[in-house]
Amino acid sequence: MTAQMTPNPEVEGVLTTEQWRRDLDRVGFVRRLLLARKWYGGDWWFVVVSAIMLIFVIIVGVFPQWFAPYNPRAEVGPALLAPGEVPLGYVLVTRGDANVTGLIDIAQPSNNIGFVVGTPASQALRDAVNRLKEEAREAGQTANYNPRPRRYQTIEDGLQALQENNIDGFIMNQSDAEAALANFPELVITGGLTEAAGKGFIFGTNQIGQDVFSRIIWGTRIALIVGLSSAVVAFVLGVPLGLISGFVGGPVDRVLTLIMDSLYSFPSIILALSIAAVLGAGIGNIIVAIAVVYIPTYFRIVRGQVLSVKEELYVDAARSLGHRSIEILTRYIFPNVIPSVVIIFSVNVSDAILTEAGLSFLGLGLPPDTPDWGIDLARGQDYLRRAWWLITFPGLMVSLVTLSFSMLGESLSEILNPRLSEL
Amino acid sequence: MEQKTVKDNDVLLQIRNLNVTYKTRFGPVSAVEDISFDIKRGEILGLVGESGSGKSTMGKALMRMLPRSAKVTGEMIFDGEDVMKYNEDQLRDFRGKRISMIFQDPMTSLNPVQRISDHVVEAIEVHEPETKKESALKRARTLIERLGIARRRLPDFPHQLSGGMRQRVMIGLGLVLNADLIIADEATTSLDVIVEAKLVDQFRQIRDEFGVSLLVITHNIALVAELCDRVAVMYAGQIAEIGPVEQVFDNPLHPYTKGLLKSVPNIRLDEREELYKMAGEPPSLTNPPSGCRFHPRCPFVMDICHRIDPRLDEVAPGRMVHCWLYEDHPEKETPTIEVAQ
Repeated sequence: MTAQMTPNPEVEGVLTTEQWRRDLDRVGFVRRLLLARKWYGGDWWFVVVSAIMLIFVIIVGVFPQWFAPYNPRAEVGPALLAPGEVPLGYVLVTRGDANVTGLIDIAQPSNNIGFVVGTPASQALRDAVNRLKEEAREAGQTANYNPRPRRYQTIEDGLQALQENNIDGFIMNQSDAEAALANFPELVITGGLTEAAGKGFIFGTNQIGQDVFSRIIWGTRIALIVGLSSAVVAFVLGVPLGLISGFVGGPVDRVLTLIMDSLYSFPSIILALSIAAVLGAGIGNIIVAIAVVYIPTYFRIVRGQVLSVKEELYVDAARSLGHRSIEILTRYIFPNVIPSVVIIFSVNVSDAILTEAGLSFLGLGLPPDTPDWGIDLARGQDYLRRAWWLITFPGLMVSLVTLSFSMLGESLSEILNPRLSEL
Repeated sequence: MEQKTVKDNDVLLQIRNLNVTYKTRFGPVSAVEDISFDIKRGEILGLVGESGSGKSTMGKALMRMLPRSAKVTGEMIFDGEDVMKYNEDQLRDFRGKRISMIFQDPMTSLNPVQRISDHVVEAIEVHEPETKKESALKRARTLIERLGIARRRLPDFPHQLSGGMRQRVMIGLGLVLNADLIIADEATTSLDVIVEAKLVDQFRQIRDEFGVSLLVITHNIALVAELCDRVAVMYAGQIAEIGPVEQVFDNPLHPYTKGLLKSVPNIRLDEREELYKMAGEPPSLTNPPSGCRFHPRCPFVMDICHRIDPRLDEVAPGRMVHCWLYEDHPEKETPTIEVAQ
């Protein structure tokens, strides 16, 4: 309380703020890298990992043709092939004396072709017959290729029937055929129906023989477009409305809150569904429909934050220094509100991907052959017990993208928020 | 209250018959009733009173920063101009440039996401938009060093500063625009005694150096005794007593001031049995007591106190008291006390 107690600027705060800088000078390069979190305030490696993941996902989404081995819409292999499984080549077995050169000779409705029930042989036959029809149509012929299928319980039953001339051909896979034909000397392998691919499919094939991996790669594009755009649209509309509503208050606030709450009280999928139904199919309309669903989320978060931030002393202090309302809103309230919105954004992106999947599943989203994680998930769940890979890989991708978005969002908010960078 | 609003170069702010009434669900609450006082240039005026006595409302009313639910009437002549007649634009210019406020909690009175330098530069830019950023920064640097904060702390965020430093930054924000009056609303309450002592010292230094007036709102009697030139004691939205610090504290006139001073802890407390506790509770402002608002708790209560509210009367040069003990009235029976000069 006396004049000689002049404040010494060097004393206060030196230990708290400067210590780590001095520590940093004393340590080696590796330790310095580890201490680097203090430069950013957040866990920097968190940011790096999620950023690398996101950059990779974005590259994949922009250039799927670089990564996808097959056309995502083409049926490139047998149905429901497990990941890594080499597809078996199916062959046509006929009697040696029948002079059959290929399936084309015995593909009339009067012919019978056998196979063991419940094996992919039936699919192979169907594919082969379809190919024949295709070729005939292209050649301008009208041929009725439609052999009658005969189902047998075992290979032996079928081959027996073939030997006894009850059927004209039998379809089985190559390795089985070579083993079994030793017992039936009269029968010969006439030719392959489907070729044994040298390699399998890394994530398997789906129920119509499309490559799951290629579909996931191409689905990244749709997911990013829909997820990001709808989140951005919701952000751009929801945040300013929340700011205005919370800051201005009064009747404006009441009306806006009423509208937003009534939107919010709708089950999100039903709301998106009805909007999508009104607007019609198409990616732009899907984006709008999903964005409308998420606007209230931003609105409510921002409004709540504004209501609490505007009571803070520093807002009063800013007013006491003569700041205008608009400056207080943009420089004092908005920066203090935004960290919580960033987190909502990252969650929102992943949520939007799922909502889009739901819409597509219900038939109001994208066309059913679109390579899209949501569509794949929705269709794959019918085969849950037989083909785990149909939903595992799209689901994994959704989780991965969600994770990287939220990781990035969280670490960004830590970096953006100077209060959390406290040592 | 019969003082005239004369243009006086010594007087910075004249407040006449200021009333603040909040509209609440329980009816109007008169938080400040009929208050009149002056603040002179370069003066440090203390405003003390219990919690809820209207001190902070007073401070905010001076800034014209009360919410819309508060009805403010009266006159506030600041440097010859009536602030009550200002429009929103004039008010914005008035705040910060002429009058500035330091708040109770230094931890939250600075924007946590803005650097110290941005705070100061922005304050300059708001009122002097033509100032270049470099010169604003230069001013900020000089000022902040003047207040005893190293200039390398300027790019820091508020949380990196101690409470005392933050309060000094807040003072700096008022000084950088050469405000004439700084209102310190419980500005030292949350600081420890050492920092408080430093800050008090600083307040005096800046008063001497910049010639600003200070209105120190506090319930810390010791702080007022140490820092202020004059003190106004508030009770239930009214000024009970106002006068030079030494006179008021040496010879308190109003019974409330007497009680207030007796309830301040003393180092020689054990000589007395116990700390003095004033009887009763602060009155409800929704439904204030009739007559003098202090009469239900007053040890010297008289008949007239129940019925008629006394005036704030000048009983000696520079000393005003709001009490029937020192004021004549035809209905009064007891003799009026003359205050010795």
